[in-house]
Amino acid sequence: MMLRAKFSKLKPLRYISHLELMDTIRRALRRAQFPLAYTEGYNPHIKLSLCQPLSVGMIGLGEFFDLELDSYIEPEFFSSSLNMQVPEGIKIIEAREIGDNLKSLQAIINSAVFTINMEYNDKVDEASLIKDFMARDSIEIIRHRRKKKDRKIDLRPMIFDLKLKERNIWSFTLSVGSSGNVRPTEIIQALHKWNQSIKEVPIINITREAMYVKIKDNYFEPWEKKLSGDE
Amino acid sequence: MSIAEKLDKMLYQVSNPVRYIGNEWNQIKKEWTNSHVKILLTFPDVYEIGMSHLGLKILYHRLNEEDKIICERTYAPWFDMEELMRREDIPLYSLETKAPASEFDIIGFSLQYEMSYTTIINMINLAGIPVYSHERSEEDPLIISGGSTVYNPEPLADFFDLFFIGEAESGLINLVNKYRKLKDKGLKRKEILFELNKLPGVYVPSLYSVDYDDKGRINSIVSKEDGVKERIKRQVITDLDNSFYPTDFIVPYMDIVHNRAVLEVLRGCTRGCRFCAAGMTYRPVRERKINTLIDMADKILQSTGYEELSLSSLSTVDYSDIERLVKIMAERYREDKISISLSSLRVDEFSVKLAKEVQKVRKTGLTFAPEAGTQRLRNVINKGVNEKDLYQAVKSAFTAGWSRIKLYYMMGLPSETDTDLEGIAKMSKKVLDMGRKLKKTKRGIKVSVSVSTFIPKPFTPFQWVEMNSQEEIIKKQDLLRKVLRGRGLQFSWNDPELSLMESILARGDRRLSGVIYQAWKQGSKFDGWNECFDFELWNKAFNDNELDYRDYLRKRDFDEILPWSHIYTGVTDEFLKKEYEKSLKGELTKDCRESHCHNGCDVCYGLGASMELVGGTNDAQG
Repeated sequence: MMLRAKFSKLKPLRYISHLELMDTIRRALRRAQFPLAYTEGYNPHIKLSLCQPLSVGMIGLGEFFDLELDSYIEPEFFSSSLNMQVPEGIKIIEAREIGDNLKSLQAIINSAVFTINMEYNDKVDEASLIKDFMARDSIEIIRHRRKKKDRKIDLRPMIFDLKLKERNIWSFTLSVGSSGNVRPTEIIQALHKWNQSIKEVPIINITREAMYVKIKDNYFEPWEKKLSGDE
Repeated sequence: MSIAEKLDKMLYQVSNPVRYIGNEWNQIKKEWTNSHVKILLTFPDVYEIGMSHLGLKILYHRLNEEDKIICERTYAPWFDMEELMRREDIPLYSLETKAPASEFDIIGFSLQYEMSYTTIINMINLAGIPVYSHERSEEDPLIISGGSTVYNPEPLADFFDLFFIGEAESGLINLVNKYRKLKDKGLKRKEILFELNKLPGVYVPSLYSVDYDDKGRINSIVSKEDGVKERIKRQVITDLDNSFYPTDFIVPYMDIVHNRAVLEVLRGCTRGCRFCAAGMTYRPVRERKINTLIDMADKILQSTGYEELSLSSLSTVDYSDIERLVKIMAERYREDKISISLSSLRVDEFSVKLAKEVQKVRKTGLTFAPEAGTQRLRNVINKGVNEKDLYQAVKSAFTAGWSRIKLYYMMGLPSETDTDLEGIAKMSKKVLDMGRKLKKTKRGIKVSVSVSTFIPKPFTPFQWVEMNSQEEIIKKQDLLRKVLRGRGLQFSWNDPELSLMESILARGDRRLSGVIYQAWKQGSKFDGWNECFDFELWNKAFNDNELDYRDYLRKRDFDEILPWSHIYTGVTDEFLKKEYEKSLKGELTKDCRESHCHNGCDVCYGLGASMELVGGTNDAQG
């Protein structure tokens, strides 16, 4: 069976990397003694896949992973059993069985909501700041790429939405994944470049709140039946 | 802001922040109360190295078994983290509760490598505790240590309040309990140390004085007061099979050096290689029963979720019933896709057969240690291996599918000549040729030849011999580089200055405390890391202390009082001398397992212990 699980990676584990998170989940799965499916070959691996890596330092409140099992287990039992085997800082929120024709997380997740804890002068009118920022035609930044040339990109079309969540906390809905990926740190840079009174905050001020499949203007959780094409 | 809050807010600024967060699966976090004795165990290197050390894991879990003891961990912060800590006023802290190191009652360092000594000083300083023991006040923790280089603790004598000599699983508990009683009685630090020194294996260096002549040779090592024992006896665990072994190992997030479940199959080694300190100071050999090992392995794998199990010891292949053990383990965990690894292979066909049994993936390569390039020299060091053994082992490795072989050798061994060094090249090239012929290809066949520089270590038959000079080492390495050239061969060697410094500290005396202090003051730390080591700083530190480092490389006389002569490891001086003399004649000494104790090392008699070869004696399931 295929399981898709939603989980959070919280403060105590904000500093572990994507690969370390994978290892942590793998070992927790083994401790929970689930009927795990393994890859074939000399070096068998648990069939576990996560979606877009969360940067070291960031908290994630609606992360996902897929897992293949050799036999059926109750998704609720899966969540509760796994929660007893993960260290403080990981919490399985919900797991659901998904059909075979639902695409992988990597393939379908194309948007994410990030909140950024902003720092600026108290007198700033946040609402108009946000309005002005979003009114721009283009928001260009220089993207630094590992072992590749820097590239100029326009962030504006990849910012789907920006709302003021509460005082100093801005909520961005951004494009992520292969069809266009914005790093929230690039947003911070762009904001600072545009308006010097907005400070460049560190990565720990960012939370990935949720991840969605965006189809036209609708946002779906990655396990909704509509996505599998059955209906 | 508390330390925990500061870390949460600031760790993104450093490399590998995961080293500093703790909170791993199976860590033990207890509520602090006044009635607890708090112990901080530490390893003077970065997290991924310190967390790989088995001895410290055993002690961590053993101490925490006790209701009235809290044991937590810390490791050395890397340069960027240390800078952050000093800038933000974060003292050395424990991973479990993020408590400042100075709030613990006892801080215990693991001594595994001479080149970590400056890192120790740095860590004590980072804890905000005076680095010299005589400067510590009543409020400061006791700073103690033990481990495999503790048998010559003298270079560290000025920094540590006490050393524990030998295996500490049970002795450390006694020490802590006695400490609690003395503290409760209201005794002062000095009085407490005096009383603790009465415990077996406990050595309080400040209670002993060392007197030197004008040439720097030791005149005498004497206890300063009545009631201070003359010599300190190494402690060993008897009945290893029934002794404590943890099964709930901490599972790190980081990919540490040895990131797997570790099963200590046996302790000690019976081979008696004359250069090997561990082979002498972990005597006698003691095994665990197969059933005990199966039971432990089950529990460890269940509680950790590890996907690899290492059968670990100084020489696992020597386990009495190793074939059956390996077979049982491989079969038992096949379904759970757990791979089994052997920590060290002997140079023979049998070892390869075992490796074949467990290693399904043949890409990592196999390692053998012939140690020397000619039979003559291998006899000198009592390495009971001949070329035929090696070639047979290698042949079966290539045939079984391996294509990379790693060979370990030493250079700078006593009596060595150019012929011996050329022998290293000859053997290595032959191994390469064999691989190419057997595999009928040149592609992908690789022989790595690692030649480390021999260092005479205390309590070995070679403890008296001269260390090669820097010039000699360089000359030999140049020769090796010349003869080990060619496609498919890869030669690696040690930094000559690093080896010199290691040998100086290994056989050093108390006067080196001042040198270590100066070297640290001038910026030495993480000396074991090639990129951090700066011999100039040490050289300067020697000058500042008006000592000549060359004097520590010299040959020692048989009748000389060695700096460690008040430490008694159980292996007698007579045995070591006899072994040294046999080495000069190239005479071999038999493995303990076969010699029925006719070798005369006397360790079993001296320590009230005996060989425990219980590996093959019981009815295993499977």
